[in-house]
Amino acid sequence: MSMTIATPLAAAEKPRRRARKNRQWQGLLYIAPAIILVTIFFVIPVLFTVWMSFHNWPLLGQPSWIGLDNYIRMFSDTRFAAALSFTAYYTVIATIAIFALAFPLALFVQNERRGVSVYRTIFFLPVVVGLATASLLWVWLANVDSGLFSPILRAFGVTGRSANLLATFNNAFPTIIVMVVWKIVGFTMIILLTGLQSIPSDLIEAARIDGASRWQRFRFLTLPLMRRTLALALILSVTGSVLAFDQFYIMTSGGPQNRMISVVYYIFNQSFVSFQLGYGSALSIVLLGILVALSVVQLWLLRVGDDK
Amino acid sequence: MIRKLLVATSLASLCLVSNAMAQETINMWVRTGIGTAFTSLADAYNASHENQIALTEVPFAELVQKYATAIAGGQAPDALSLDLIYTPAFAAAGQLQDLTEWAKGLEYFDSLSPSHVALGTYEDKVYGLPLLVETSVLAWNKGLYEQAGLDPEKAPANWDEVEANAEAIRALGGDNYGFYFSGGSCGGCMIFTFTPLVWASGVDILSEDGQTATLDTPQMRAAVDKYRSMVEKDLVPEGSATDNGVNFLSFTNGKIGHQSLGAFAIGTLVNDYPDIDFGVTLIPGIEGGTSSFAGGDNIVVTKDTPRLAAVQEFIEFAYSPEGQKILAQNGSLPTRSDIAAQTLEGLDPRLQVAVDAIGVAKTPYTLLFNDLINSANGPWATFTNAAIYGDDVDGAFATAQSEMQSIIDNAP
Repeated sequence: MSMTIATPLAAAEKPRRRARKNRQWQGLLYIAPAIILVTIFFVIPVLFTVWMSFHNWPLLGQPSWIGLDNYIRMFSDTRFAAALSFTAYYTVIATIAIFALAFPLALFVQNERRGVSVYRTIFFLPVVVGLATASLLWVWLANVDSGLFSPILRAFGVTGRSANLLATFNNAFPTIIVMVVWKIVGFTMIILLTGLQSIPSDLIEAARIDGASRWQRFRFLTLPLMRRTLALALILSVTGSVLAFDQFYIMTSGGPQNRMISVVYYIFNQSFVSFQLGYGSALSIVLLGILVALSVVQLWLLRVGDDK
Repeated sequence: MIRKLLVATSLASLCLVSNAMAQETINMWVRTGIGTAFTSLADAYNASHENQIALTEVPFAELVQKYATAIAGGQAPDALSLDLIYTPAFAAAGQLQDLTEWAKGLEYFDSLSPSHVALGTYEDKVYGLPLLVETSVLAWNKGLYEQAGLDPEKAPANWDEVEANAEAIRALGGDNYGFYFSGGSCGGCMIFTFTPLVWASGVDILSEDGQTATLDTPQMRAAVDKYRSMVEKDLVPEGSATDNGVNFLSFTNGKIGHQSLGAFAIGTLVNDYPDIDFGVTLIPGIEGGTSSFAGGDNIVVTKDTPRLAAVQEFIEFAYSPEGQKILAQNGSLPTRSDIAAQTLEGLDPRLQVAVDAIGVAKTPYTLLFNDLINSANGPWATFTNAAIYGDDVDGAFATAQSEMQSIIDNAP
């Protein structure tokens, strides 16, 4: 390229480049508040947690540097292993249960017809109750003496005498799952509903004209077009389940016989019952790593990056 | 509210007293719900002394965290009323004032509640002294005894009698149950009410130096069997299996035949449930004898506080005949045994049983109380639920024994 052509071109380019640069600075300015907030409330605390995790950090007294000892200790910590395996079990069961109900509900309330907004409200209502409040409510509902479930189960002959639903794992775990589904399903339903409603109706119409059956329309149109929404709902649900704490703390105190100690519950116990903040920090960092890995795997499985 | 009132009174007296410079205000933290025994004592002190004491209530679960943060920030209170079981852990962290010389100089030092002093002592130095004392005792409902055709004045002397009488009361039917305990992994409740069964036989769940778990003994197995048997015979309400301590005062519903309770419950029953006619006796051991858990609060002083002399004056007031009387009137047992009779004169005679319990009472000494005993997920709490309500008693013993030992061995 010769100079004679390049010079006028470059002269025209300059102000444009400057404008672009200006716009970039403007953009940065717009997201600055978010960056500052994320830095103060996420990045710095995470870095500080990493720093703490390399220490023996008691609540009272002076912290001392112990390098990777906290991380090494995890490998032989059977209670941490038990908490991980319980959390995985809970996450799988809760996620399946929530999706198994949320998808049909979303399809049910998808189309505008008489009373549909009433249904949407009813299904969504438990979402606005805090998880801790909901757990307390269910502790009362499941109470053997003054609760609601025990007499109902007895009346239907499911149990012989008054049943203490929270006394054994085999009763308490399903009770908590039902509570969580009741509490969360409306939220997942709303997310799925927005996905369903964003599918252009002419596509479905065209498929119908081409002779696609109801199942074929669902399998080859709705599901693929819902991929991004499904990924969002799945990641939110899995993340929520992996971080579960309130329901176990409030409804059964991690019992019966410690069989419902989730990872977060274990971190809480290490930090604020055993006062080992260093070990608690190390466990938190590992949990953060697990969550990031799980989210990456889910995005990859649903091939969210692929569709253009 | 009480705190505000106290602060207001302290401020008011600050302005009124002319030599305000010489006067000091002790800043003291207490756990929420410490009760009227202590607040009445503080009121009486403020009314009769130049120095004043201002109380701040801190939720029990946050006390340790808040105290640690306050120390780091140089804002620690002068004194702290601390559940006595936590005193060793605080002393070990090097945050408490050594009171040895002054305490041992008190002429009645040897008659102070021995369990409290033992827990207030760390490496032969006294860091904590008894403030509030309570013991566990076995209560029985005289009204239900009468309905069931039992002698209401005859206290059950051993656990076979408790069980037999409990069966008679359960036979009344309806919501009447023979026995109650908070069995839903409430470590604190069970160490308070259940370990006396084995302590009475001279065994313990920890070795004397706190370094070895000694849970699996024939006496503990017998005690577990007795509770299991009462559960299996339906003598215990179903809700017990999940009661984490919230319903610890179930006895107050008037439909429970027997329950091991704290001395404070005697005050509650007498004042708030006058219709329930009850008796109290020392908790029988599973193989005879009697025992009890000595609980309550120690007073500890923050290291290097400038108001040490004022705090000492307050403690001496608490130990004076007047202070002891105020505490006892509000349900806390006398901390001084030498003037206990004088203190209890004219008060409910059943309090005397709880006082007698001090003589046979024990408290486990360990820096790991929270980890081992109190935590709902700790080995002791889990054990009591698993062994009494679970299907695998041997497994419960084995798991708890090894987990306790592992916590002791891995302690930093």
